[in-house]
Amino acid sequence: MPVVDVQPDELRRLTGHEEKSDEEFKDDLFALGLEFEGVTEDGAFQLEFGPDRLDRLSVEGVARSLRYQYGDARGVTVPKTNDPDWTIVVDESVPEERPYVTGAVVRGVDLDEAALDSLIQLQEKLHATMGRKRAKGAIGIHDLTMLKGDVLSEQSTGNAITYTGIEPDGDTFVALDSNEELTPAEVLEQHDTGRKYADLVSEYERYPAIYDEIGLFSFPPVINGRRTEVTTDSRELFVELTGTDQWTIDRMCNIICYALAARGATIEEVEVEYEGGTVVRPDFEVETKHVSHDRIETVLGVDLEMDGVIDLFERSGLDADAELGDETVYEVSIPPYRVDVLHPLDLVDDVGRAYGFNELEPRYPDVGTVGQRHERSRLEDAARTALVGLGFEDLLNFHMISEEENYERMDIEPGSDVLGGGEPTSITEPYSEDYTMLRSWVLPSLTMVLENNTHRAYPQDLAEIGHVAHRDDDENTRVSEARHVAAVLARHDATYEDAKARLATLCNDFGVELETPATEHPSFIPGRTASVVIDGEEVGIVGELYPKVIVEHDLELPVAAFEFDLAALQ
Amino acid sequence: MRLPESQVAVLNAASATDERTIAQLAEATDLKPETVTGAVFDLRDDGLVTVTETVEEDVELTDEGVEYADDGLPEIRLYRAAMDVGGGDAVQMGQVIGASSLGGPQVDIALSNFARKGYGHIDSGELVPDADADPDADGEAAALSALAAGETVDTDVLDQLESRKLVVRHERTIRAVTLTDEGVTALMEGVETAETVDRLTPEMLTSGEWEDVEFTEYNVEADAPEVRGGKKHILRQTADRVKDVLVGMGFSEMEGPHADADFWINDCLFMPQDHPARTHWDRFALDVPPMEDIPEDLIDRVRSSHLNGVGDDGDGYHSPWSEDFARAVALRGHTTSLSMRYLSGHEVGELEPPQRYFSVEKVYRNDTLDPTHLLEFYQIEGWVMAEDLSVRDLMGTFEEFYSHFGITDIQFKPHYNPYTEPSFELFGRHPETNELIEIGNSGMFREEVLRPLGVECDVMAWGLALERLLMLMYGFDDIRDVHGTLCDLDLLRETEVLR
Repeated sequence: MPVVDVQPDELRRLTGHEEKSDEEFKDDLFALGLEFEGVTEDGAFQLEFGPDRLDRLSVEGVARSLRYQYGDARGVTVPKTNDPDWTIVVDESVPEERPYVTGAVVRGVDLDEAALDSLIQLQEKLHATMGRKRAKGAIGIHDLTMLKGDVLSEQSTGNAITYTGIEPDGDTFVALDSNEELTPAEVLEQHDTGRKYADLVSEYERYPAIYDEIGLFSFPPVINGRRTEVTTDSRELFVELTGTDQWTIDRMCNIICYALAARGATIEEVEVEYEGGTVVRPDFEVETKHVSHDRIETVLGVDLEMDGVIDLFERSGLDADAELGDETVYEVSIPPYRVDVLHPLDLVDDVGRAYGFNELEPRYPDVGTVGQRHERSRLEDAARTALVGLGFEDLLNFHMISEEENYERMDIEPGSDVLGGGEPTSITEPYSEDYTMLRSWVLPSLTMVLENNTHRAYPQDLAEIGHVAHRDDDENTRVSEARHVAAVLARHDATYEDAKARLATLCNDFGVELETPATEHPSFIPGRTASVVIDGEEVGIVGELYPKVIVEHDLELPVAAFEFDLAALQ
Repeated sequence: MRLPESQVAVLNAASATDERTIAQLAEATDLKPETVTGAVFDLRDDGLVTVTETVEEDVELTDEGVEYADDGLPEIRLYRAAMDVGGGDAVQMGQVIGASSLGGPQVDIALSNFARKGYGHIDSGELVPDADADPDADGEAAALSALAAGETVDTDVLDQLESRKLVVRHERTIRAVTLTDEGVTALMEGVETAETVDRLTPEMLTSGEWEDVEFTEYNVEADAPEVRGGKKHILRQTADRVKDVLVGMGFSEMEGPHADADFWINDCLFMPQDHPARTHWDRFALDVPPMEDIPEDLIDRVRSSHLNGVGDDGDGYHSPWSEDFARAVALRGHTTSLSMRYLSGHEVGELEPPQRYFSVEKVYRNDTLDPTHLLEFYQIEGWVMAEDLSVRDLMGTFEEFYSHFGITDIQFKPHYNPYTEPSFELFGRHPETNELIEIGNSGMFREEVLRPLGVECDVMAWGLALERLLMLMYGFDDIRDVHGTLCDLDLLRETEVLR
């Protein structure tokens, strides 16, 4: 979940509530769903919250939400914008993987240290969340005064910058935190930030690049040029965003514009000139959705007055107009910084939060159903109870295992026609060499438990009924899954007979017929190994573990064992 | 007749004509009085003896009583001193006391009894003895001497001495034993001593010999050797408990594959394909071909839900949606994949409301391994399908569920999940520490989840790690000690069972 650092003093200033103590803020923020996690070295609150309200990724957004909560603000507000002076021209050579761009000009910015820190944090947090680590959207903020716009045409008085694509070594610029003229390809190799984001563009034929009249000044989504770096002296900003989805970068842009406007800046539109047409950005259009009064009452389980509902909408930073008809429907206006409203029900949630979900009286639903265990789980439970009755300690092991443990240390081969020898269900990119596949049988797990408990008292009679799987392309999931019953008897005088005796009792308990014709299995001693044949079907193995397997697991006493498919007891 | 040894001895020592006390019998049989008493009661229960009980009183001199028996009562010593000093005339008090060699509290005792018993009177600091008084006829002094000599005395004077705290009286029961006719008959027919045995044997039971034997006594308080039986795994016990509660609340259990298509694991849940939880870092993708058999119309509806949203005013995610990714097979990160399969009608046919379903099964997540996180854990998953469910129904259901585990004061913190709205993190009071602890995640499934599945009514759902419940309720602090091949057998063997 995202965490945002917020200076309480900034919060006091931006909400206009100088009187609020840190503790009061913490309570108010918790009510909003922002959880206090701790304080940073320089005294900022670390606030954690769900990744829906990304408009709260900065102190400005948090303050705005608080003002609605306090009733200082109501309804939807949209910053006034000035007409465009700048144009972003999208060149036809722009990388097809990253064709979208948006932006805004921001004037009259008063950036003190706190405001600049907040802006940088907002940029980074948006990158991490909506921007999907810059893959989907990346933000570049520039000092406007350092840009020299191309004059577009004789008719136009405005300035233009160009979003284009260049050869990896097609040009050079000095990146932020660097003194060298580097090509984009060199940035990816030599610059720290370049290396970090190299994967995003390294497969591209042409690299994204933004030019003004002077030359290359930004290499999105990797790094900006040093020339246009924003400092506390910057008063006018050019915000550009590139990405793989227009809506996403437009909303990221809106969140930044709202944050800067909250500090008194003026937003100026820019034109984005695509090959197919021109759009004006930022896109502050207020969208509407419709939700019925009845639905709100049903979801919350309470009766509400219409005026009350409208009040709750406004306190949530929304506007609502009631449309009276057969049923009352609200047309709800949604401010352009909201990125989480996909469906009218999201608006009902806002009403619920404003109403206070904890104000609702719980009630047990008046719905009658009859419950029952699943057949498989009942069978497993009955078999487990029987094993425990036979004196086995019931174990619970991981389903994930390594190939070495599953096959090699048991002396069997993957793909061989013995119990446990099924093809591995391998994990594509395992994170640990101990867990690379799903176990194909249970005995390796039990043998490992014996290996890890040689310092504990014997006899060690262990059993597990657990999940096993092997690859089987004929299955719809490509994986054949089953539950196996497995047991080991580790004792100084353990024999085949000990294992078979218990197996026979188990089969008897379930009224199935057990036969044990001789067989061979690499994990077991030849001549002391039998197939478990239940009701005529071969379903498992019983025998004495082969000394090589015993010694491999650092055990110093005989082990008798059996394993078979639980379904045979059905 | 065969009787235990002690009973045989008592029977032989008893008489049909003379009462014998327990003490006498003990002396005659050389048994401890307790043993004799036990034998006597057993014999009486068999009708071989009668027991009469009389209560006797023992009188014992107190330390003060013994002293006066030796030295004489203080008032008598005072009288004799007065007679010695004055020969019957009034004498100065101090002079008399000095002569009597009484000291301390004895002086007051002497003076108060002196007048009461008519040895004279006290007048203006002078003691006037009555020359006719006869200390040798003093009843109390005589009684003291008699008691000291072991004789009995009259009750009146005993009361007097008791009030002066010179004697204490105890009652005791004297049991006297007489043989009954049956006892005499038995003796005449012959009573043998039954043998004592160590172990009850099958032969004794079949032969009836057990009736004549006496069992040697064990030290029943001594430690017994350790016995180990099998036991259900503690996490299985916890799962059973949860299943019991849920079945009792009308939930039916779901079942389904651990390896499944991302379609069922995530896409049906309206998780955008570029959601961070779906990156390869969090997911255990399997190296197998994609799943082929997924209903095409369902895929179309889910795709449309992701791209365009649901309903007239619905919006989709502004994220790409790839069918290839949806068909890729991975280990399930939650058992909500089962809920999707059931809700879609894929598992048990179309479901008509109302329905309640649950699962307590394993899920796989790439988390950092630490005392509370494993790569595999059990998820409790449950949902309720009904017309017009409200947030209040959700709250009521969870309050009921958690109350069975002693967790009360449930709080609902509004939360965000891609697949539910409204969503709540559940917090509750720990029954022992009283701390507010996170106990689950819940919400009403979004329409973007339900409509593509063909569900037109409401469904509320919640999830919780079973291990979390185990740790909260039963105080485990490192889950690795019990779950997995690194488990400690001793810990499993010693773990208490759940009640």
